[in-house]
Amino acid sequence: MKSLKKILAAALTMALAVSAVGCGAPGGSGGSGGSGDTLKIGLATPLTGASAEDGKAIQEGVNLAVKQINDQGGIDGKTVEVVAEDDKGDPSEAATVANKLAQDESILALVGDFNSSCTLAGAPIYNDAGIVQISPGSSAEAVTDAGDFTFRTITTDAVQGKYLAKWCVDELGYKNIAILFENDDYGKGLADVAQRETEGLGAKVVVREAYEVNQTDFSTVLTKVAKAKPDVLIIGGLYNETALIAKQRSKAGIGELPIMGVDAIYSDALIDLGGKAVEGIKLTSYFSDSSESKVTQDFIKAYTDEYGKAPGTYAAYAYDAALIIMDGIKNAGADRAAIRDYIAGLQDFEGATGTASFDKNGDVIKEPLRMEIKDGKFTVVDK
Amino acid sequence: MQSIIIDLFQKPGQYKKVAGFILVALLAAFPYIYFNNYYLHIAILVGIFVILSLSLNLITGFTGQLCLGHAAFYGVGAYVGALLMKNLQMNFFLALIVSFLVTGLFGLLLGIPTLRLRGDYLAIVTLGFGEIVRLVFINWEEVTNGPMGLRSIPAPSIMGFVLKERYMFYYLILIMVLLVLFLMNRLINSGFGMAMQTIKADEIAAESIGIYPVKYKLIAFILSSGLAGVAGCFYASYVSYISPTTFVYNTSVTILAMVVLGGLGSLAGSVIGAAVLTLIPEVLRFISDYRMLLFGALMVLMMIFKPEGFWGVSKRVKNIYKLKAGRRHHERDIKSQ
Amino acid sequence: MFTQQLINGITVGGIYALIALGYTMVYGILKIVNFAHGDVFMVGSFLGLLFVQNAGMPIYIAYPAAMLVTAAVGVVIERVCYRPIRIKGTDALSILIAALGVSIFLENFAQLVWGTGTHAYVQEIKEKNYEFGNINLSNIQIGVIVLCVLLMAALYFVVNKTKIGVAMRATSQSITSAQLMGINTEMVIAATFGVGSALACVAGVLVGTYYDAVYPLVGYSYGLKAFAAAILGGIGSIPGAMLGGFLIGIVETLGSAYISAGYKDAFAFGILILVLIIRPSGLLGKKHVDKV
Repeated sequence: MKSLKKILAAALTMALAVSAVGCGAPGGSGGSGGSGDTLKIGLATPLTGASAEDGKAIQEGVNLAVKQINDQGGIDGKTVEVVAEDDKGDPSEAATVANKLAQDESILALVGDFNSSCTLAGAPIYNDAGIVQISPGSSAEAVTDAGDFTFRTITTDAVQGKYLAKWCVDELGYKNIAILFENDDYGKGLADVAQRETEGLGAKVVVREAYEVNQTDFSTVLTKVAKAKPDVLIIGGLYNETALIAKQRSKAGIGELPIMGVDAIYSDALIDLGGKAVEGIKLTSYFSDSSESKVTQDFIKAYTDEYGKAPGTYAAYAYDAALIIMDGIKNAGADRAAIRDYIAGLQDFEGATGTASFDKNGDVIKEPLRMEIKDGKFTVVDK
Repeated sequence: MQSIIIDLFQKPGQYKKVAGFILVALLAAFPYIYFNNYYLHIAILVGIFVILSLSLNLITGFTGQLCLGHAAFYGVGAYVGALLMKNLQMNFFLALIVSFLVTGLFGLLLGIPTLRLRGDYLAIVTLGFGEIVRLVFINWEEVTNGPMGLRSIPAPSIMGFVLKERYMFYYLILIMVLLVLFLMNRLINSGFGMAMQTIKADEIAAESIGIYPVKYKLIAFILSSGLAGVAGCFYASYVSYISPTTFVYNTSVTILAMVVLGGLGSLAGSVIGAAVLTLIPEVLRFISDYRMLLFGALMVLMMIFKPEGFWGVSKRVKNIYKLKAGRRHHERDIKSQ
Repeated sequence: MFTQQLINGITVGGIYALIALGYTMVYGILKIVNFAHGDVFMVGSFLGLLFVQNAGMPIYIAYPAAMLVTAAVGVVIERVCYRPIRIKGTDALSILIAALGVSIFLENFAQLVWGTGTHAYVQEIKEKNYEFGNINLSNIQIGVIVLCVLLMAALYFVVNKTKIGVAMRATSQSITSAQLMGINTEMVIAATFGVGSALACVAGVLVGTYYDAVYPLVGYSYGLKAFAAAILGGIGSIPGAMLGGFLIGIVETLGSAYISAGYKDAFAFGILILVLIIRPSGLLGKKHVDKV
């Protein structure tokens, strides 16, 4: 008898847990969503784990965009609501989140994921379900053909890599290139593009080394870089590691070696962490706090008022992604497929990260800015 | 079907037959009760983790060898299966078998030199193996496509019929889980299983009665890693995209936690552990900031207050060693009166 | 380049060795692996930063204070989490799982308190670089190596020449017999955890100062390498931990310098597996025979 009770208890516990999961998924099935007085958009982003810092910035960017729309009376009198899910930066978790968001038919479109591997894991599910995902951070080339419903507000590594290579080789005249990259989907993708493009312009990659995300000791790779005597160091990674590399390069005797990077290092954390060592770093970016665009300046002001700190590049991409989705809802109505068609035909959308259009693969087309860190500030430069 | 359930709970009895039958009927009817892709996805994940925790239980629970690199075997199975299905268009079921064999071979190669080591040493060696395998996934780009991972892995097909809907995957994993449970139950109640458990209880005593520990440990290790490979192959085909970030140390720890919190050396415990630890984080999504913190604290508390797990060692001791047989006789006496 | 890389390897190896001492001492006495030790190292590093930056203490007060608090953290972990399991007499596996739990707890606790990002460390000690031909050496680097060696020598002296050292060695041989001889074994165990944690704090402050960064997950990779170092050298042996630490530091540095930086961690674990196959009890470990 006793064991029967236990088995039943176990079965009950499971049933309860399953139904509790059910309660967690809001909204009913059926209909094309948008029922009641709210419109829902999804957000899939890493809120815990190694990429949590960027994931939270993305959440803030989306929340800000939604708040602004709601303060202006929402869309057709309906308030917009964000359903945020944590993908932990893990593709397996991203697939779970994708199932959850795609299943809830009241969610009209979503912003996400951040990591390219997560976007690739979620894409088949979102495309099956016919819901638009706009990634604010996945720049890998592979995302290009992920599906008709997969878009992004960040350009591919190829666009930025090509631009950076031209700037670095043709205009600044660096011929011997060193590349350091983080050993993951992002860093490796960017390193490949940077190598291909700089070599295409006649420069030589004299050293190319990987490091782990969250590594602290760069002495080994920097010693190798020093030995190869490059003219410039291109970093395919994020701001934390870039700051440490900048600081530790003097230990390897290459304190004066110029560093170049892309938008992924645009964050105040780079300057906070790197201090004097990051002075003079050159980077490409679409977002700049010294931009003259009114949308950008309004965004920076609103973000700073809301969160008490300056926005980084991913918050801006996420803000744009959320605005594009809400623009889609406004113009195409609360229908997943109609939103997709609207966004696919979007031309010259004015966002915080510049003017955007999408090509036939859902990749965004924009012109990057050139920046340099001067006196502890990101400054737009001509050369 | 009934016999499987009896075996699942190890003790024949009318109530268990009925309860088990109801449970399987419920599980089979699940897609009709909740026809929802998200629930089905969670249920499929539970199935994958049931196989993973059962397989780890074989080596950690029944033989007492601590393995901290189970995610590596899971990953090897996933990559082997994915490459076979994607590049050679191999049938899923054949790929499943090859994944089992290849991953088992990895288990053999790692096991031969290391199973002679004491428990704590084995823990670090398997952990190191896990790290090395992860780095190979990342760096061996020609084969694994590096950190970008492998995409468009085909779904299983039977005679040209493609299993692409969620509920088909659900039934497939349900059948696989029941099959694994059935086989594991047969195994641990065989002479071989008894020998394994003797080794866990006391290695020296086992040797003294002619059980050669390394041989049994090695076979358990091969089976354990092979089964993890099967789970990996299924995962690859189901999600259709794999990348190195899934097969990391954290995944190994999660599987270990399922085995330990469920109850070391208990099949039902592994099933419950996998189900609970897959469902709890889903239910706790709304407090995502604190869920890992709570999880860590729970692991410590569990070890202090209930080291045998949810469905733990006490049952196994009662049933296998019949140490508390007195009470059972007593129960029988009462019944017969 | 070879000499330069060797020096880089020795520097990081010294830090591994300092952390490895904590693993080895605890294992020597209790035969348990304190998996949370890497995270104690992280906590120590953060405490050093906290005391200087937020409490505004000068470093000669702040760092010893950080060491004391970290030691207390180590003792509390033992008291609250391991001791109840230990006195119940359940197997070592339970303590190991509990230690994994403590490790997960500490990492997530640190993320809640200090955020998930990387923090710059205090630079109270001004770094100076010296060039000898092609070789760069900084004053901090020299300090790291010298301090590591000195601390290990001091610990070796304490264990082998002092009264508490005798008590430690007695406890490591048999807790029951040590108790019969009038040794307060609980005190000895607390002292072991305390000293090990304080040394981890030193390592944490050194990593912070030398590499100029600390973040909540820093303990993971340092902890694993140090654990590998302790086992490589022969767990339970103090000179072994030192040897293992330097060896792992040098092998992974040279491996990533001359073979591939992408496989950095694989070299450390690869050498560990190789050594264990040849010498199952580590380089300087005593051969272990199970007695009935």
